Amino acid sequence: MQIQEALIAALVLGPILFGLLILTGVKGPARTGLIVLAALSTIGAGVALPVYTNLSNMVLPGVVTSLGSVLEPLMILIILTIGYRLKSWPVTIMALIQLAFCLAGFVWGHHGDTPDTLLVVDKLAMVMVMIVSVIGSLIALYAVGYMKNHEHHAPHTAASTNRFFTVLIVFLGLMNGLVLVDNMKWLAIFWEGTTLCSFFLIGYDGTTEAKASARRAITLNVLGGLAMSAGLFLAEHRFGSANLSEVMAKGPVTLLPIALLVLATMTKSAQMPFQSWLLGAMVAPTPVSALLHSSTMVKAGSYLILRLSPSLHDTPLAMMVAGAGAFTFVVTSALAIGQSNGKKVLAYSTIANLGLIVCCAGIGTPLAYAAGVTILIFHAISKALLFLCVGTIEQTIGSRDIEDMSGLLFKMPLTTNIAIIGMISMMMPPCGMLIGKWMAIESAARSAPLVLIPLVLGSALTIFFWAKWIGRITTASYHGKYTIESIDAWMRTVLTVIASGVIMASVFAMPIYVLVIKPMCLAACPGGAPGMEISILDNVVDYMGWPMLVVIGAIVLSLVAGTPLFKPSRLRLPYLCGENIDSDETSCAFRSIADAPVVTRLSSYYPPLFGEAKITAWGNPLAFLIIISLFGVLIK
Amino acid sequence: MTLPANPLTIVLLILIVPLFGALLSGIDRRITARSQGRIGPPLLQPLYDIIKLLRKEPLLTNRAQVVYAHLHLAFMVLAMLLLVFGKDSLMFLFVFAFSTLSLVLGGMCVRSPYSRIGSQREIILMVAYEPILILLMVGFYMANNHSFQLSAPMMSPVPMLLVLPLLFVAFLVVLAIKLQKSPFDVATSHHAHQEIVKGITIEYSGPYLAILELAHFYELALLFFFIVLFWSSPIWVGILLASFSFFLMTVVDNLFARLTTHWTFKFMWTSALGLAVTNILWLYWASK
Amino acid sequence: MTNVQKFNKSPWVVHFNCNSCNGCDIEFLACLTPLYDLERFGILHVGNPKHADVLVVTGSVNHRNARVLRNVYDQMPDPKVVVAMGVCSSTGGIFADGYNVLGGIDKVLPVDVFVPGCPARPEAMIDGILKAAQILEAKHSGKTPLAMKTMLIRTPTLASAAAGQEKGAPHA
Repeated sequence: MQIQEALIAALVLGPILFGLLILTGVKGPARTGLIVLAALSTIGAGVALPVYTNLSNMVLPGVVTSLGSVLEPLMILIILTIGYRLKSWPVTIMALIQLAFCLAGFVWGHHGDTPDTLLVVDKLAMVMVMIVSVIGSLIALYAVGYMKNHEHHAPHTAASTNRFFTVLIVFLGLMNGLVLVDNMKWLAIFWEGTTLCSFFLIGYDGTTEAKASARRAITLNVLGGLAMSAGLFLAEHRFGSANLSEVMAKGPVTLLPIALLVLATMTKSAQMPFQSWLLGAMVAPTPVSALLHSSTMVKAGSYLILRLSPSLHDTPLAMMVAGAGAFTFVVTSALAIGQSNGKKVLAYSTIANLGLIVCCAGIGTPLAYAAGVTILIFHAISKALLFLCVGTIEQTIGSRDIEDMSGLLFKMPLTTNIAIIGMISMMMPPCGMLIGKWMAIESAARSAPLVLIPLVLGSALTIFFWAKWIGRITTASYHGKYTIESIDAWMRTVLTVIASGVIMASVFAMPIYVLVIKPMCLAACPGGAPGMEISILDNVVDYMGWPMLVVIGAIVLSLVAGTPLFKPSRLRLPYLCGENIDSDETSCAFRSIADAPVVTRLSSYYPPLFGEAKITAWGNPLAFLIIISLFGVLIK
Repeated sequence: MTLPANPLTIVLLILIVPLFGALLSGIDRRITARSQGRIGPPLLQPLYDIIKLLRKEPLLTNRAQVVYAHLHLAFMVLAMLLLVFGKDSLMFLFVFAFSTLSLVLGGMCVRSPYSRIGSQREIILMVAYEPILILLMVGFYMANNHSFQLSAPMMSPVPMLLVLPLLFVAFLVVLAIKLQKSPFDVATSHHAHQEIVKGITIEYSGPYLAILELAHFYELALLFFFIVLFWSSPIWVGILLASFSFFLMTVVDNLFARLTTHWTFKFMWTSALGLAVTNILWLYWASK
Repeated sequence: MTNVQKFNKSPWVVHFNCNSCNGCDIEFLACLTPLYDLERFGILHVGNPKHADVLVVTGSVNHRNARVLRNVYDQMPDPKVVVAMGVCSSTGGIFADGYNVLGGIDKVLPVDVFVPGCPARPEAMIDGILKAAQILEAKHSGKTPLAMKTMLIRTPTLASAAAGQEKGAPHA
């Protein structure tokens, strides 16, 4: 028990402490040393916790609860101040309402002994802790190299790099706290904390665009925070408990606070119609996008909804949640096709996958739960890797537009190969993401056929933009030797480590499923499904082995069989009716009238069908109606 | 009804199935020729083509092509094996889709505008027909006592065609796309069609083209076996159904002109999807 | 044609027009029609030199298209043969004295079969391609007797056609 407490303290308080140390203004190697120390301790604690835990809920003394009661209004006051300084009516008004709920909670809330704060330490929390600690720390290490370069090009309005690292590392502690607490007050505190971190980090560059994006982010996230405060107040006032597990255990009568929490997760996970803040957040430096806006902060919403999933089961709310998730999945997959900005494609893809997790949580059967967790884990790793790759590419070629990434395989072989690994891991059969998607479709077919159709349409659409992107970056002529591009050592190391992690996770997808995911869903949905559902989970294991072996075999065979045939005499230019121009490495240029060269440019973004404005025009209103129905079904 | 999955059967299947696929392709060319008033090539012409291709010099534009060609073949063989041994239908579908995707990526990795256009068109066609195929698998699931195994329709007492007629019609349209037949042959320009000078396969030559052709034979056989699933007992009716479907594809190919990818996408996502969804819905309500 | 290994079972043709008046091209495309049906010999008209075995060239070579012709020839994988269709590609034809015409395609490429005619008749073309396919097989197996290196296809004269002797392809 002692070790567990120590580790949890290291996970939550450690990063906060390190962050505050960095805030004191150290520079150079001292700062790097602090960051490395923070990263290593967080990774260490995060990996050690699942080993040393006894997976039972921990109880913290009442003083922690009192601290929470003080911190919560403090957080809201900070938001109020920000709203006032931004001169933003929505933020100010929402923060005031939140304050009102908080004070009302003081006045009418639970009086008597200060209850203990519960920490929930189960497998879901373990998984999230590992994701946050390991991937988050690695991204912080990447940021060391990235910010060195960024400092040279940053606009003069950018905040100081020390503050950047402070907020980044403090954020890790806040996330760890978020996934470990059961007490809703503390959940709200950490939730608002992550909102504030996101606000600062998005607006870090200080440009007009960054400030506008930060403003939009905080507006939508405070909406979620308001929903959470309202839910918290209702739970305490009507149902007398501030601990989430107790509220969930009370059964369907507590649906209204749970629905409010679901709304909070929708805003945090940027589901439609709240997706615009995540798109705007892409102006932030890449480590921010990788950490906050793909693998951890938005996953806080996924975590919460997976935790709420058992209590949604068999209620009318479940189908609405599943419907909202599926709708987001298909519409954002379509939106991603029409984008040529690399980070926006990744953002829409992230939102789509989060929608898939929300949908699985809504379906709520053990298989769906397993699907949700699988997608959670594998998406966090792969998407973080992809964002880091795009960041590296952007720093080297100066653009994040997919159209400018032709011939990248030759210019940046290491990064491109790692990016291909990342993209293929999002689509390919033996990798975890596809297994998760497969399980999601199977569970929808078994239990929720109406939701099935958007899932099916969306998964067809996702192939489109990944294939397009992979095709664009792998176009390259034959080169005898590839020279590894020179990028910062920190960035290169982290990219390689995470890429190996992606490969290992795909190779070991089967054991991960058996050891981690299956017991989780058995615990989360104990008796709520017929026995057939549970045995389905065993079948999943059968089908991971074949495709992996085939893929490895095919690649090995092709390289072995093909290598002796790679003679320079056997190389030819592409066929352009005999009018090849050899000079240009990346485009398909040919000689035309009067021997003048003509450059061909091909792209397929289909603005009439998949343009952002067009789809959002009908997508947002429909999504808004779904959110209203979410609450409408609760009216009896 | 399902074959045992031992190594001997696997090896035999891998060796014999492409011959069957080559025969199907040869019959198709022969019927096309006869319907055009020509004599047409010998029935085993596709085999002669492959043997010739294997003996040619391998030319390359880059190294990645080879890997993608091998992946395409490997996944196609795996999909065929998953089908014949009656494994999970969604996994079969994803493996099959990834085989086509490997071909598309192979087309995109060369610096040729023709192959890029072919690849982009092929992606759009994939996006157009994937939902129908997934819904077809879900239809099998609902009609076969809630089992996602492909062995279930093989052993079903009721022929699938009677339970999933609309899905079968939608699947026939998908078949036309997969076989690269008019009116949907806009992407890969198989055989004599040259709108984009052979499209995806333009930069493959010699043995690598032979690999792609071989994968196409596996694909033909795979689609044939898949149609046999729709009437698996007695199996000769299924074979007749499959033969008739293939014959229908050849006839349609010779009647229709080529249509654009946009039209195909819209058609598949409205009409074909409507047929499929209707079938699924009545199955769902029947099972309640 | 019983040995399945022979290249002449499946010669794939790519057709290139140098500066032809299109007469020979029209006649060549006529070979693909049901009346002459090249496909019964396994011949496919592929548009892409990388897939082709036989390069059929019509029209003569000039300064502009010499390099293009060479480029297309170089993009064909071995073994390959070249068929010069019509007198323009054989010798320059009636344009041989033009200021821009370099002559027949043998100025640029090693030609295996010359098919004279202006335009060459479809039967002669078919015969030429089939002879080229035999040369192809010989090249691949390494035995190329000198006599087979280059073949001249004789076209039927008006007199012999009027005499009604030959309807099909003549033999050299």
